[in-house]
Amino acid sequence: MRGSRADPGAKPSSAAAEEDDVVRVANQPIMIRLKHVVFGAVGLPVVILLGAWIGFFNVGASSGHWKVTAWFLQLAMRSAVRTYALAVDAPKTLDSRGLPAAAGHFARGCAICHGEPGELRSPAVMRMLPQPPDLALTVGDWTDAQLFRIVKHGIRFTGMPAWPARDRDDEVWAMVAFLRELPKLDANGFRELALDGSQPTAPAALADCTRCHGGNGEGRGGLVPALAGQKEAYLLASLQAYARGDRTSGFMALPVTGVDPSDLAALARHFAALPPSPVDPDRASAEVIGRGRQIAEAGIPERNVPACSGCHIGSDKNPLYPRLDGQHAAYLERQLKLFRSETRGGTRFWRIMATAAQRLTDDDITAVSAFFSKRSEAPQ
Amino acid sequence: MSANTGLLVGCAFWFLAKGSCWAAAEELGHQRTEVVKPPIASVSLAAPQFSNVAAPQDPPGGGLSLFLRNGCGACHTIRGTDAHGTIGPDLSHLGSRTAIGAGILPNTEEAIARFIARPDLLKPGVKMPAFDMLPQIEIRMIARYLKALQ
Repeated sequence: MRGSRADPGAKPSSAAAEEDDVVRVANQPIMIRLKHVVFGAVGLPVVILLGAWIGFFNVGASSGHWKVTAWFLQLAMRSAVRTYALAVDAPKTLDSRGLPAAAGHFARGCAICHGEPGELRSPAVMRMLPQPPDLALTVGDWTDAQLFRIVKHGIRFTGMPAWPARDRDDEVWAMVAFLRELPKLDANGFRELALDGSQPTAPAALADCTRCHGGNGEGRGGLVPALAGQKEAYLLASLQAYARGDRTSGFMALPVTGVDPSDLAALARHFAALPPSPVDPDRASAEVIGRGRQIAEAGIPERNVPACSGCHIGSDKNPLYPRLDGQHAAYLERQLKLFRSETRGGTRFWRIMATAAQRLTDDDITAVSAFFSKRSEAPQ
Repeated sequence: MSANTGLLVGCAFWFLAKGSCWAAAEELGHQRTEVVKPPIASVSLAAPQFSNVAAPQDPPGGGLSLFLRNGCGACHTIRGTDAHGTIGPDLSHLGSRTAIGAGILPNTEEAIARFIARPDLLKPGVKMPAFDMLPQIEIRMIARYLKALQ
């Protein structure tokens, strides 16, 4: 570019001119342009910084963005979501078992800005800049992968936060599945899904639990664990692990960080004292359950898998080892896979479980989860 | 009165047990007599009632019940107890072995405790997970129980 501009200037000069002259004539315009570049590179940021420092730029939301700013931010946001979503591996069908938990989370964490289906939003929220979109109208603009990207990472400059747990893509997909349902829901349908139809009158901390775990601690939707009759020490240690971040979950992070730490013990005691919920209706075949029993009671010695019963069956076991009887198969399966990939911490004993889970195949996990979901044992 | 008698009998038992341990070690011509010393240091920690050699009479909260309660029996067998695991070594006579951890450590209570806490440090590639999340006192009680298995 520089050379081609300089050449026409140099060529008309006489062929007999001294080489020095050619160089000087050719260099002159370059020197001027360099000055401009230097001024632009150093001066302009200084001017902008000075402008910011003296308070030239109005950050008030009263007049909204300049049209050009709004246009640019929209363009940048939509393009970035579209491009970064290319790397997201979306499942062919979205798992609907996480819907109750996702709806409960929406009610607690998202509805404050995006509004509950069928409810009017606060006028204060409507005057936010940018205004949080009414998702019933806008989710259709995005693909599953793009929604995943937005829910997982949030959007800068908008107030949209990232998912609280970095390594829980399963929860983010549950949210995406819920967002796909959202436009079809009215106020009653949403309350049915998020709150089990009842408006809880319990204290806020307990209401935060029962939204997903159910009033009887039965665990709603299969992926949310049943808590009724679980060991109290295990429940408390798990809540503390969530609060410390040793066990990661976006669904749990929100309620557990909003609770006074001294209330955690009371919540653990409450759910431990509830009678265990009835076991899941039969879904797995007798053959699968039989294989699960084999693993649970004898392990798989040739693959160094210890028997689950060594830690999880019997009333004389460590109170920090959870009872698994009657637990939802889908929940157990998910947790074993999280242990296997070392994305699940928990009590200080979690590594023992991770070691065992890493020796299990998908089929082993399905079988052993089905077995425990059917097993019932009188609480201690 | 009867409590005092019980304590006396317990102490007597315990001294006898310790004495027989040392005697056995000397008889075997144990080459690392200096590493047998740690048990002396642990004497001050020792609650006499937990040093009972006979496994089935393990009191509640003793070494065997801690062993079972924390799931060790899922991998190890100790004959005469509820520990029937077949993945790890049979520990029925651990106390009478000359060395542990594939022969790299002397068979002392101290070494057994270290192995329970971090087997991976002492035996790279070991299948057993670390149990260093257990309170030190529980590890010591399990180690003492295992060392006493002749």
